[in-house]
Amino acid sequence: MRNKQYSVKVFETTLTDEDQFTSFFNTNYNLFKDYLIVIHGDISQKIQEYLQEKELRFVNNIILPKSQGRKAVEEEIAVQKEQQQQVENELLKLSDRLHNNLKVQDTLVRSGQELTIDGDLLLLNRVNSGATIIANGNLIVTQLVEGSIRCFGNFMMLKASPKANIVFHDVVVDNSLLKERLNRVELKNNEIRITPVLKETTWVM
Amino acid sequence: MGNVIAVISGKGGVGKTTTTANIGLGIALNNKRCVVVDFDIGQRNLDMILGLENRVVYDIVQVMDGEASLSQALIKSKMNDKLYFLAASQTKDKTALQSEKISKLIESLREDFDYIILDAPAGIESGYEHTIEFADAAIIVVNPEVSSIRDADRAIGILDSKSQKVKDGAEVAKYLIINRIDAKMVQSGEMLSSSDILDILGINLLGKVPEDKGIIDASNQGKPIILNPNSAAGQAYKRIASRLCGEDIDMPELETVQGGFLQKIKGIFK
Repeated sequence: MRNKQYSVKVFETTLTDEDQFTSFFNTNYNLFKDYLIVIHGDISQKIQEYLQEKELRFVNNIILPKSQGRKAVEEEIAVQKEQQQQVENELLKLSDRLHNNLKVQDTLVRSGQELTIDGDLLLLNRVNSGATIIANGNLIVTQLVEGSIRCFGNFMMLKASPKANIVFHDVVVDNSLLKERLNRVELKNNEIRITPVLKETTWVM
Repeated sequence: MGNVIAVISGKGGVGKTTTTANIGLGIALNNKRCVVVDFDIGQRNLDMILGLENRVVYDIVQVMDGEASLSQALIKSKMNDKLYFLAASQTKDKTALQSEKISKLIESLREDFDYIILDAPAGIESGYEHTIEFADAAIIVVNPEVSSIRDADRAIGILDSKSQKVKDGAEVAKYLIINRIDAKMVQSGEMLSSSDILDILGINLLGKVPEDKGIIDASNQGKPIILNPNSAAGQAYKRIASRLCGEDIDMPELETVQGGFLQKIKGIFK
């Protein structure tokens, strides 16, 4: 297969008045003699003879492939860049949420206050009676809880808190199951498991 | 420039007004110019406890509305000439209070007095929010029981979010007074102990006041209990007022029963 590629100058016109057509090409012959003439409309015998006589090359009733102007191309590139930037930003936010989503708070949560956290929460103070904490990530509270807790993360760690109202993934946790200084409540195979965290940590040497 | 202190509690009936009256008089006894302002619009009581019931002509709402001047409305106490009183309106309600007017009133009181004590209404409604709005410090009065503690906790939460000082980025000083402590009930476990209350509320202790039957009679007669040298509660208020005036005074233990001979002997062997 042998291919060749040309860039050809094209003059596109619509044929309505034959006299007007011939007089136009008579006057502008020098300008258009090397052009490919694209004619829309029916070509009569007379016109065809005229074109052949003048040795003008022409095609009839075809739709030309139109390339975009420079400006339009630049605009399209700008739009693409913007979209790419948006995607990158969203990815950045997502990775930020995955890596830096631990909030640490050391002030106590008072009655009537409601704390809603998207990520993980480490709370180093009390949750008083009448306060609410909603954590969509994991939750660790090191002090006594007397308010309400809603946790939707993989696990939460709580002190034994007989007066607290604890809900883990829409399941009410029985306070009497939290016995130790620190207890781990986690979701494993669709089952809530509560394991006490023992005071002594054994290190593997 | 005077110090504006709001006396708050959240729950009603814990002794806010009694505390306000006694602390106000106590500060005046420490030779500081003090004004107590009743912010409980529509339910004034402070005038009775201070024994100034029949002296009220103009009230705080009339001063704020420009119907009376501040000097006309301020009532000098019969018991101490450093103590002044500004009465609440009995006929209007809480909606009569407006932030700009309160701010203006408090600014003019700051110029004349060392201490401005505001008696807040019970609850956490607009009347309470207006009382704490321009306060530099708050005294939280609680009784050693759970409902009082929880309501106080809520009131502190609102104080931390609604006061002008917090909005300006500063912090409102918070002091706790534990009122009506009954040593026997604390020891038997029926009442919360001070350390439990301090753990829950997480603020500094200003003083403890024991339960005292003399308070009712003192209120009825319009003579604050602080004037009675034989009253344990009166002495407690005296210590609190001195602490507010900057003195460093020890906190006596009120939660152990000081009983008879047998218990003293038991105490020795402990």
